[in-house]
Amino acid sequence: MALLVVPACLLVLALLIGPMILMFRISLNQFSPTQLMMQALSPDNYIKAATDPYYQQIILATLGIALLCTLLTLILAFPAAYWLGRMESRWKSLVVIATLFPLLVGNVVRSAGWMALFARDGLLNTVLMKLGVVSAPLEIMYTTKAVIIGIIAVVLPYMILTLSAVIESIPRDLEYAAANLGASGARVFWRVILPLSGPGVAAGSILVFVLCMNTYATAVLLGGPRFKMMAPAVYDQFVRGNNWPMGAALAFMLLAVTMAFTVFGSVAFARKYRAG
Amino acid sequence: MISRRHFLSASAGVAALASGMPTARAEGGQVVVGTWGGDYGQLLSDIIDKPIMTPKGFEIVQDVGNADPRKTKLLAERQSRRGSMDVACLSDNDAYIVSQSDVFERVDAAQVKRLDKVFPELRSDIAIPHIYSAQVILYNTNQVKTPPQSFADLWDPKWRGKIGLADILYPNNTLAAALAGGGGVSNLDPAEKKLMEWRSLDVKIYPSNEALAAALKSEEVWLTTMWLARGFMWKKSGIPLAHVVPKEGTPAIVFQASVPKNAKNKAGGFAYLDAMLDAKAQGGFADKMGYVPTVTDAPLPEDLAKQVSLTEAERARLLKPDYAYAAGRSQRTLDFWNKEFKA
Repeated sequence: MALLVVPACLLVLALLIGPMILMFRISLNQFSPTQLMMQALSPDNYIKAATDPYYQQIILATLGIALLCTLLTLILAFPAAYWLGRMESRWKSLVVIATLFPLLVGNVVRSAGWMALFARDGLLNTVLMKLGVVSAPLEIMYTTKAVIIGIIAVVLPYMILTLSAVIESIPRDLEYAAANLGASGARVFWRVILPLSGPGVAAGSILVFVLCMNTYATAVLLGGPRFKMMAPAVYDQFVRGNNWPMGAALAFMLLAVTMAFTVFGSVAFARKYRAG
Repeated sequence: MISRRHFLSASAGVAALASGMPTARAEGGQVVVGTWGGDYGQLLSDIIDKPIMTPKGFEIVQDVGNADPRKTKLLAERQSRRGSMDVACLSDNDAYIVSQSDVFERVDAAQVKRLDKVFPELRSDIAIPHIYSAQVILYNTNQVKTPPQSFADLWDPKWRGKIGLADILYPNNTLAAALAGGGGVSNLDPAEKKLMEWRSLDVKIYPSNEALAAALKSEEVWLTTMWLARGFMWKKSGIPLAHVVPKEGTPAIVFQASVPKNAKNKAGGFAYLDAMLDAKAQGGFADKMGYVPTVTDAPLPEDLAKQVSLTEAERARLLKPDYAYAAGRSQRTLDFWNKEFKA
């Protein structure tokens, strides 16, 4: 049976671990504007990435955006996931497909749609101005608001589907029993549904958090040149600066922070549910 | 293993079969041209590949991509005996950086016949200058009645919030700031103070040239610094713009083409470089993209010349980049732009 995992493992080894080892080696090299990079075995790029206030600020901003988006996504997704999880209609599979539908559109195309909506002379401002709701166009494009809306639109389906699968497995009888014993709807939610859907909340939150941490297209297109997140900063070093060693070091820094938070989250959830 | 060249060749063969063309090998051989896509790639195909190279028996395959991956590919392949490109199109600054690794063949009149027609100030040992333009001030004619005459004038508080810059042109915006502060192509130090002053005047930054064009069109901003050629294209698209050649000087940009030392078809590569200097082809690029010919025997129609060319007096203010200085300072320029100016 163990042999069944070999092909997938080999694929991951060849396409993920191999390039990562190569990139780690690059991160220890030194940048040269004319030679691209010079062979070295130096931790300088990591020291610079970790001690430069500019990158510290970017990593904090990225963490903040990712945590906020994860929380908002969870709040928005839960009611929809509950409805989907409890649905017994023959149209359920169609609703699942409809939930998945936004994922069929690439991030760049989706962001282009938001740009058309949010621009100074975009649809939203035109409608608001015509209706007399505002006298001057709202500045939505190139703001943190725009990025948060864009990211949530991307990650919402992942959270809904992860949560609905877990909610579906919670026996409906438990809700009836709680209600029968006098619990209000809100109490049933807090004391029965939410604790029992904990594994779904954990899995969905971790998945969404990782996606948010690595946001690139949405941050660049909706956040504009002044908006700072880690993935665009990595791209900047690789492509605009041609500084591969620094870009690679930043990429590993992003990976380390994301992994640290993911592992911490997983362990915390596991402890809570073992204890519970 | 399928190499990129074989893949491109096979793709071209499939395309030819689909279009009913014979697939016999061209007698001059295949020439792989590493180039930008979009208008530039299309014009190369329409003005050079089909009318000049194909009748001479060459089969042209474009390897389309942005400059950065192309630079990286040239540097990464420099140890290989056979590279993937026969012609590499790059801006002058990028070509300089790549050439420091001894990647390109030397270009002389023995290989490129039309080299003697090239303006002397645009000549280079490792490339032919294909087209060029100059960095000017563009302004919206509806809103700006007394246009600035110098880069320094763009720091007048009356333009607060009305100047837009393209983020991707950060080296050129930095140079404009240096010139405004008394610096030059070999001294970017004054740029840092001037950029911070610009920042306090609410200068707006747009992620791309296209976003900047949209902001100029909607009159969100009224002024920018940009290539004269791009201003010409924007004017053609209906944006009410005019340009000023700044008093401090007008930095030049030259788009070049080189033959890598490890090109498979060097003769084909040099033939392509020669075709790029063809007088008719040069006129075609000026007409469609607003870039000025680099050869002496491609005069433009008077009306077109007025819009895209510099006068004699303006040409005297053309500033040739200090490639070595710009390359050596590239990381500091990017860091300052990102960490201080855009913070």
